[in-house]
Amino acid sequence: MLLIHCPYCDETLPELEFAYAGEAHVDRPADPSALSDEEWRDFLFIRANPKGPHFERWRHVHGCARFFNAVRDTVSDRFLMTYKAGEPRPDISKLEEAQ
Amino acid sequence: MTTQTHDFTVIEGGTAPVRVEDMAPVARFSLRLREAHRAAVGQALGFDLPQRVGDVARAKARAALCLGPDEWLIHAPEAEAEAIAAAGAGAYAEAPHSLVEISDREISYAITGPAARELLTIACPRDLDRLATGRAVRTVFDTAQVVLWRDGEDAFRLDVWRSFAPHVRALLDAGQAELSAGF
Amino acid sequence: MSQFRIPGKGRVDHAETVSFSFDGKRYEGLRGDTVASALLAHGVHLMGRSFKYHRPRGPVTADSAEPNALIGTSRGAGEKEGRFEPNTRATVQELRQGLVAESQNRLGSLSFDLGAVNDALHPLFPAGFYYKTFMWPRSFWDKLYEPVIRHAAGLGRAPSKVDPDSYASRYLHSDLLVVGAGPSGLMAALAAARAGVRVTLVDENPEMGGALLSDPGIEIEGRPAWDWLSGALAELNALGVRLMTRTTAIGYYHQNMIGLCEKLTDHLDEIPEGAPRERMWRVRATRVVLAQGALEKPLVFHGNDRPGVMLAGAAQSYLHRWGVRVGERAVIVTSHDSAWYAAFDLAEAGSKVVAIVDTRATPPEALVSEARARGIEVLAGHTVTGTKGRLRVASVTVNPVRGGTVGAARLLHCDCLLMSGGWTPSLHLFSHTKGSLQWDAESETFLPGRMTEECHIAGAGRGVWGYAEALADGAKAGADAATALGREAEAITPDVAHDRPGTGESHKELPTDRKSHRVRAFVDYQNDVTAKDLRLAVREGMRSIEHVKRYTTNGMATDQGKMSNMNGLMIAADAVGKPPPQVGLTTFRPPYTPTTFGAFAGYHRGATFEVTRATPIDGWAEENGAVYEPVSLWRRAWYFPIGGEDMEEAVARECRAMRASVGIFDASTLGKIEVMGPDAVEFMNRMYTNPWTKLAPGRCRYGVLLGEDGYIRDDGVIGRLSDDLFHVTTTTGGAARVLNMMEDYLQTEWPDLDVWLTSTTEQWATVALNGPRAREVLAPLVEGQDISAEAFPHMSVAECTVAGFKARLFRLSFTGELGFEINVPARHGRALWEALMEAGKPHGITPYGTETMHVLRAEKGFIIVGQDTDGTVTPQDAGLGWAIGKKKPDFVGKRGLARPDLVAEGRKQLVGLMTEDGAVKLEEGAQIVLDPEQPLPMKMVGHVTSSYHSATLGRSIAMALVEGGTERMGETVHVPMPDGVVRAKVTSTAFYDPDGDRLKL
Repeated sequence: MLLIHCPYCDETLPELEFAYAGEAHVDRPADPSALSDEEWRDFLFIRANPKGPHFERWRHVHGCARFFNAVRDTVSDRFLMTYKAGEPRPDISKLEEAQ
Repeated sequence: MTTQTHDFTVIEGGTAPVRVEDMAPVARFSLRLREAHRAAVGQALGFDLPQRVGDVARAKARAALCLGPDEWLIHAPEAEAEAIAAAGAGAYAEAPHSLVEISDREISYAITGPAARELLTIACPRDLDRLATGRAVRTVFDTAQVVLWRDGEDAFRLDVWRSFAPHVRALLDAGQAELSAGF
Repeated sequence: MSQFRIPGKGRVDHAETVSFSFDGKRYEGLRGDTVASALLAHGVHLMGRSFKYHRPRGPVTADSAEPNALIGTSRGAGEKEGRFEPNTRATVQELRQGLVAESQNRLGSLSFDLGAVNDALHPLFPAGFYYKTFMWPRSFWDKLYEPVIRHAAGLGRAPSKVDPDSYASRYLHSDLLVVGAGPSGLMAALAAARAGVRVTLVDENPEMGGALLSDPGIEIEGRPAWDWLSGALAELNALGVRLMTRTTAIGYYHQNMIGLCEKLTDHLDEIPEGAPRERMWRVRATRVVLAQGALEKPLVFHGNDRPGVMLAGAAQSYLHRWGVRVGERAVIVTSHDSAWYAAFDLAEAGSKVVAIVDTRATPPEALVSEARARGIEVLAGHTVTGTKGRLRVASVTVNPVRGGTVGAARLLHCDCLLMSGGWTPSLHLFSHTKGSLQWDAESETFLPGRMTEECHIAGAGRGVWGYAEALADGAKAGADAATALGREAEAITPDVAHDRPGTGESHKELPTDRKSHRVRAFVDYQNDVTAKDLRLAVREGMRSIEHVKRYTTNGMATDQGKMSNMNGLMIAADAVGKPPPQVGLTTFRPPYTPTTFGAFAGYHRGATFEVTRATPIDGWAEENGAVYEPVSLWRRAWYFPIGGEDMEEAVARECRAMRASVGIFDASTLGKIEVMGPDAVEFMNRMYTNPWTKLAPGRCRYGVLLGEDGYIRDDGVIGRLSDDLFHVTTTTGGAARVLNMMEDYLQTEWPDLDVWLTSTTEQWATVALNGPRAREVLAPLVEGQDISAEAFPHMSVAECTVAGFKARLFRLSFTGELGFEINVPARHGRALWEALMEAGKPHGITPYGTETMHVLRAEKGFIIVGQDTDGTVTPQDAGLGWAIGKKKPDFVGKRGLARPDLVAEGRKQLVGLMTEDGAVKLEEGAQIVLDPEQPLPMKMVGHVTSSYHSATLGRSIAMALVEGGTERMGETVHVPMPDGVVRAKVTSTAFYDPDGDRLKL
């Protein structure tokens, strides 16, 4: 069971309070109907699935209930950082340096 | 032989080290709003609504717990339910928000006694030493979502959704039996 | 007193005898004994039979690593059979009054085991035996191979009765968790606790002290070891350290979460009222010190598994902890200094030490002189080439080794053979963390390498040997942990006198003069894997240690390879021709020792197996004989049988009564979400397919919710209470999921919308009243709302009072009849139900359950999301195209609906099916074909999603998803079933009252 830092509660808490919510920074297009079939396919189905740092969304569902973003290393299963929804994607190289 | 030590005390004379009791119904509301209207709606309801998750504001017999950045849980005496709803409605045009009565959604248990904290550890994964007296949080108890209030060093309350309550109560009773038996 | 017990010696209570039985024979032991120590005190070494060859076996260890002495234990037969437990280690199970123990894995008696024929046939059971033997013929598998394997497989027998014990669990948060209370662990805990750290110290044994318990001659800080130990424990207690004995750290998980299993009652004569048997602790520690010590390795030679052959360290433990000499005449064979001390202690206690056989050419001179001074013969540079004795070792053959050549044999008579192949750090928990192992060339073993957790390793667990060094290493680890936790800590190094430091060598199988096919040198005792099996596996092409392990089953038994992994590696590496670090160890996995299912389940059994949600009206249903069905976590009234009705009869009666007069149904489980705010209508327009802008307050609409892929996710009736307030209902199972999805869009895609969501599922109890008499029953109870057809038409909603309770009243219908849904605060649900039952009496009001509800809705062709849809069904597929707001610029799923495969021809569409014979009911899930004569495999064009007998229509009805279904109206399709093909006609799904006239009441 992991410990996850909720950026809204500013506390590191048991994973049991959280739920995974897919890859982060996949924004819903403003006008989906304007997208080609290929673009829509990419939005719906194509995900990064990296080996290493992964930008992903979590929800503190049994806590403050907020969705937030995280960078988790899929090899070590370690969270490199978490940040609030809407904040820009952090620079991975800087994160790895800080490790 | 080494004996095992626990950091709770079993009270002499057969008294259980922890009590679990059903609490009388209270008026409960879920309040949600934007930061811009926090002060106005808070004033209408009689609070300075707290901003930090887990903080509780109290005004006479009313309490407002900050559950999340845009969400508060209000507890008040039952008789005040209509007044609270009316106060919210009065402020709505100027300060739009959502104030929904949930008095019957949850029921509450009081858990008190020297082993109260220990009892909660049977199913609550949080470090309860880090929950200061006077604060409260939404968390889980086994697989049920709960709001856990700390009213004192040895005094807690659990708000549980009605249909989950028998399960939570059964676990608390099992844990209480262990503690009473000295295990 | 038994022959092998030394009066007054050990940590057992010589004043209190404890009686127990083993294989039906009564024995007496002492309080503090294990089953193994008590039997050894009576000279009993034979305690079990091996798994594959049924060879006689005795204990080789005095601890939880024991592979051989596995027993079944219970508190008696009959009623108490539920407390029977197989595969208990006799070396771990403490004696209690009346303990019943039995040996395992024997056919016949322990001393004459018919299964031992396997041993004589051993050339037939080489490595990979299963893979090679049970290949053919295919027909032998079901009748012969599988039953034989199933009979032979597994250790012990399963209990036949339900376990009457309870099991507990707790979470524990600690600044520092120290695993292992030997010298290093004790010092780590002391150093940290003195610095003010919140420490938990755990040990799997009944008492703390670790190796110190077996080495009382050591002096620490000028005090005998056991006095120092008492002082240390008293200080730890006084410092508030949580001391947990009989508590095994079974697994090390992410971010310093450690699973501990604490045994609470297995050692007690009687189980106290309310006491759980075991407790699983989930510990989250900021820092961890692993001080698990080291495991002694056996030596691998012919006959190394005979009862009486055991680890030297174990013999030393039996002597000092339990006051038991393991034999009268001992031979020691070792490659490590530590066994010499065991020999000296045993000689001191009165046993004859025949010889110390050391594989090293030149053991330390000091040890050799001390042996000579005690009159013990020393055979340096020797090997062991065999043992003899039927059920107990009687002699051992030793040979000198010069320049790799095995010299002439010599026979030594003995009744116990004490071996030591050196020590390997207990790497199991460290290995759980995926920390890397590092080969230490000097000690020829793996040590913990790179850490992945906030963890310190101390003492023999990282290759540190000797008490002075282990104590100092523990103190340093404790101080380091305290420093990391922000405390000022000091690592004190205690003075140690009479220390027993030592070194040794590692071996593959010992050199021998026997022909290789005649050597039975065991590496894994529990799975009967020999050195020869490992070499055969390599010869047959296994190169990876993981393959060697699986091919031979080395290290795969319940002891997790504690004794066999390192020896297995040395032999496999030699066979592969690579150095051990290049071959590597297999992975250790949790749990460290076998752990009961009860401990893992904890409170999750019986009534608290999982949450069972019940509605406020559930009590009434139970009192009135409802049969229940589970729906997600809820239990719902399925039907209400009267006077011995079966389900079909009850459902037919309920259906007819509702259509003829009035029925009442508990709909409280429906999900309910309050959508409130100035942008509520905009939010609804974006979430649901339907248009909401023109829905007037006081009106309702059936809403369809899609995913972005265009498939149906949920549905429900939604009422608009005011411009800014919607009362949304969801399916029972979809409530949490829908709220989560809505919150997701609001928080992350449309944070600009001024609208908020609140779950009110459990705020309201919901009662559905349906049937032509529904209004007559309800009207007298309603205040504040005219519910006449004119004032309150179909699909209306109002806030009013019903039966004196504040209510939200809907007029809607999921049955096709005049219908109302009354929501009142949950606490009043049952009172409302009872008021309606009373008011409905004159009309024969009939309560109905979910099965009748399903039939009634199917008669109308209303879908159940999740039954008639499966995540690949669009609104058009389901005949709900009318619910799409085509003029809306966007909604969730709009773009998805235009995907090429969603607009393609030939999609599966929901249609009605009428069997040609109305008495035949199709089976839900049955596949549909167009041509039943086609060759196998047939082309399946769809499947039945719902199927019922309709009492209203007097025949069966079904719904099905069929390729191009809407184009096939009137066609006949075929449903092949085991007892013949059923013919059915494709129809509309509106089987009953297709024009909806019955709603116009």
